[in-house]
Amino acid sequence: MAITMNVNGVEHSLDVDDNTPLLWVLRDHLGLSGTKFGCGRGLCGACTVQIDGSPTRSCLTTVAAASGRMISTIESLVEQQPDLVDAWVEENVAQCGYCQSGQLMSAAALLATNAAPTDEDIDSAMAGNICRCGTYGRIRKAIHRTAEGRQ
Amino acid sequence: MNTPQLRNLSRRNFLVSSSALVVGSYAYTTGFNPAFANTTRTLSPSVYVAVGSDGIVTVTCHRSEMGQGIKTAVAQVVCDELEADWEQVVVAQAEGDAKYGDQNTDGSRSIKNFFVPLRNAGAAAREMLIQAAAESWGVAASECEAHDHAVHHKASSRSASFGELADAASVLDVPETPTLKSRENWNHIGKSRVHVDAKDVATGNATYGADVTLPNMAVAIMVHAPVLGSSPIDVKVPESAKNDLRFIGVETINATPGPIGFNPVGSVAVIAEDTYTGIKIADELEISWSDSPNQSFDSEVFQEKLREAVEQPGQVWHAVGDANSMLDGAEETIEAVYETPFLSHAPMEPPSAIAKVVEDSVEVLAPVQDPQTTRNTIVGAQSFALENVKVTPTLLGGAFGRKSKPDFVLEAVELSKRLKRPVRVQWRRENDLQYDYFHAPSVQRYEASLGENGMPIAWRQRTAFPSIMSTVAAPNMVEPANWELDMGFTNTPYRCDNQSIEAAGLKAGVRIGWLRSVCNIFHAFGANVFIDELAEQAGMDPIDYRLAMWDGMDVIQGALPSEPGHEFKIERLRNVLQKVRVNSGWDQKIADGRALGVAVHHSFLSYVATVLEVDASDPNYRVTNAHVVLDCGTYVNADTCVAQMEGAVVFGLSGAQRAKLTFKDGAIQQNNFDGYLIARMPDGPSISVELVDSDHLPAGVGEPGVPPVAPALSNAIYRAGGGRRRSLPLV
Ligand code: FES
Ligand code: FES
Repeated sequence: MAITMNVNGVEHSLDVDDNTPLLWVLRDHLGLSGTKFGCGRGLCGACTVQIDGSPTRSCLTTVAAASGRMISTIESLVEQQPDLVDAWVEENVAQCGYCQSGQLMSAAALLATNAAPTDEDIDSAMAGNICRCGTYGRIRKAIHRTAEGRQ
Repeated sequence: MNTPQLRNLSRRNFLVSSSALVVGSYAYTTGFNPAFANTTRTLSPSVYVAVGSDGIVTVTCHRSEMGQGIKTAVAQVVCDELEADWEQVVVAQAEGDAKYGDQNTDGSRSIKNFFVPLRNAGAAAREMLIQAAAESWGVAASECEAHDHAVHHKASSRSASFGELADAASVLDVPETPTLKSRENWNHIGKSRVHVDAKDVATGNATYGADVTLPNMAVAIMVHAPVLGSSPIDVKVPESAKNDLRFIGVETINATPGPIGFNPVGSVAVIAEDTYTGIKIADELEISWSDSPNQSFDSEVFQEKLREAVEQPGQVWHAVGDANSMLDGAEETIEAVYETPFLSHAPMEPPSAIAKVVEDSVEVLAPVQDPQTTRNTIVGAQSFALENVKVTPTLLGGAFGRKSKPDFVLEAVELSKRLKRPVRVQWRRENDLQYDYFHAPSVQRYEASLGENGMPIAWRQRTAFPSIMSTVAAPNMVEPANWELDMGFTNTPYRCDNQSIEAAGLKAGVRIGWLRSVCNIFHAFGANVFIDELAEQAGMDPIDYRLAMWDGMDVIQGALPSEPGHEFKIERLRNVLQKVRVNSGWDQKIADGRALGVAVHHSFLSYVATVLEVDASDPNYRVTNAHVVLDCGTYVNADTCVAQMEGAVVFGLSGAQRAKLTFKDGAIQQNNFDGYLIARMPDGPSISVELVDSDHLPAGVGEPGVPPVAPALSNAIYRAGGGRRRSLPLV
């Protein structure tokens, strides 16, 4: 069955199994490899995208459930929230970087609904995103830096 | 933080012109462990830097980038000696080739081993550019100098850019002993630089193992044998798969007999046109597996055997005085047993590799820590000639030692050979945890008797753990190796006139490998908690007690000879401990409901002291603050060193707080992040790091921050009233 969805402002029509997780549609069918695979079970956050603005684990979201919705991925973040991307670079957040697409998409969703998150807000919004390299302190700093820059 | 940024232009289509100035250098490297570092311990010419006629300087990073910032650090070193403009430097990733010298990115030694060769490369290029300018101006080279990406002749106010000079310089001889800059003139080394890939990472443009797609590439999803040593006997493919046009087939791989090494394990590969098709079918396969001698392996039983081992005398590695009879005859001794479990690397990026076999040659793109070992392993497993095997590392989405072992690459090569098309092997998290090369579990037993002044007069320490050698070398090599014991045991800084240091090994029924900091993790744990226990017995402050033990001591000798210039100096250990004492406010009044714990450890030739502060009112003893002091000698990227210490605290907390793996009937009992518990954002404390200003030789940075974390936490929990916790995980 053909499924249509809007990814980063572009309409796509795809002929794939309804149950295909959005993660693999993005990566394998649309060539958007910025969204990462870490666990496949909603446990690590590496695959986080936004669907209609909400942070969503794309490994657990079927393409059928994403059908007709607005999806944004890390590839569009630099247009949506360039200051957040800049803060990530300026704070030199990433180590290996593999978790960071997911971290950024969760952080972007947090900042979209909470202009001045506290450390506790960040802890609860970001608890689903594992960083094995342990960049949590810098992620906090980069979120605060972005929020401050927007005041 | 505001630090200069370097755009990573490596994805721009940049070509070094044929007349580009290319500078060779010489790399002499030593192996991480002498016993099985099999690759490139030779003197060989290597190529690290090229200057194009467009002025772009290309630095070739021959070490793998896994988050430790090596691409950036290598560029800083070269750029400094070259006097290049940071904005005009691009960093290329080298493929595996012996001409670069050792590429085994492991053991925290990229800068340690290549600081001088990289400086030589940069300095040689600078001297060649100066020579070219001097010749074109008809002046003496000694009257010219390089800075800001150009050569200048002050007397005549002439300047020429590196780009203008590249062609002429490229035909000059490479100076063999170029003059290196003096330390006070360094303008990149020791400074903070944002990682060269930072922007690519933050925009989703960084390329990891699974991110490359080749034309006509198939995807292989692996179902590995539940027990090490089993092979598939029979595979039933679901009916539904047979009509699926995106399903290509299944392939079986048998367990390799003999030593485990880096060989693939028994598996069934589901080959499909895309990842999800492979996953869907893999989950529906019915497979029967052959028996394996490992199917009775049980981690609880194994731990019990380790406990028994430390109750017996072990192989004696160090004996002075008469510890045994003194302890056996003592009225009172202090004894403690410390235990640590199996751990997994669990890098965020599960193993993944692309192989393209065409007739008798193969190209591999994969997140590997050592592209040369990967090449050699492929040559050993297949009938390719070395020159027909090309291995290029992608970025590594974390590795921590896991991706030193190219078993997953061999799967891709084998499958591509059979299918005659490019194949990407994609492991899932379940594969990754199931078939890690695990961090060894351990049991240590310490026993001491104290003299009148509270200091030890007799001391016996025993360790038991499965040696890495039993997996990577030969199954009958069960005794711990000297280099494993020199990770915090035979080179312990806690010495006594009557002392016995003993070790025992046991073979496990799963693969054992090196994980970030290796045996230092458990040895630093045992030693630092035991010292706190002795301090308590002596009625002394734990820091004072350590300092008292080191009174009058100079150099620690382990089982292996020290590398020249890298002696283990008590003075440096004392220094980081005294600094962390001040930084953490150790002697000040602590906020109500908080407690501090300390640990200090020497590893990878560096010195780290850590104080953790815990919330005593939290039943899980959440860590609120961490103070770390690192002395790694001369460092290159200050901010990277800080970041590595921050990351090490979090990595250490994962192992200290909750992470533990268990095995029953030969099979792992945790298969994803719901069973294997990694520190998350709320676990991450606020961390302050001090780097010791030092002109000692560069030493390790990536690993030495981890070992003090678990003992500092145990010691903090004790001081918070949580009792003495001698077994990891702690909460
Ligand atoms: S891959 Fe989706 S949460 Fe881990
Ligand atoms: S930066 Fe490596 S996992 Fe987060």
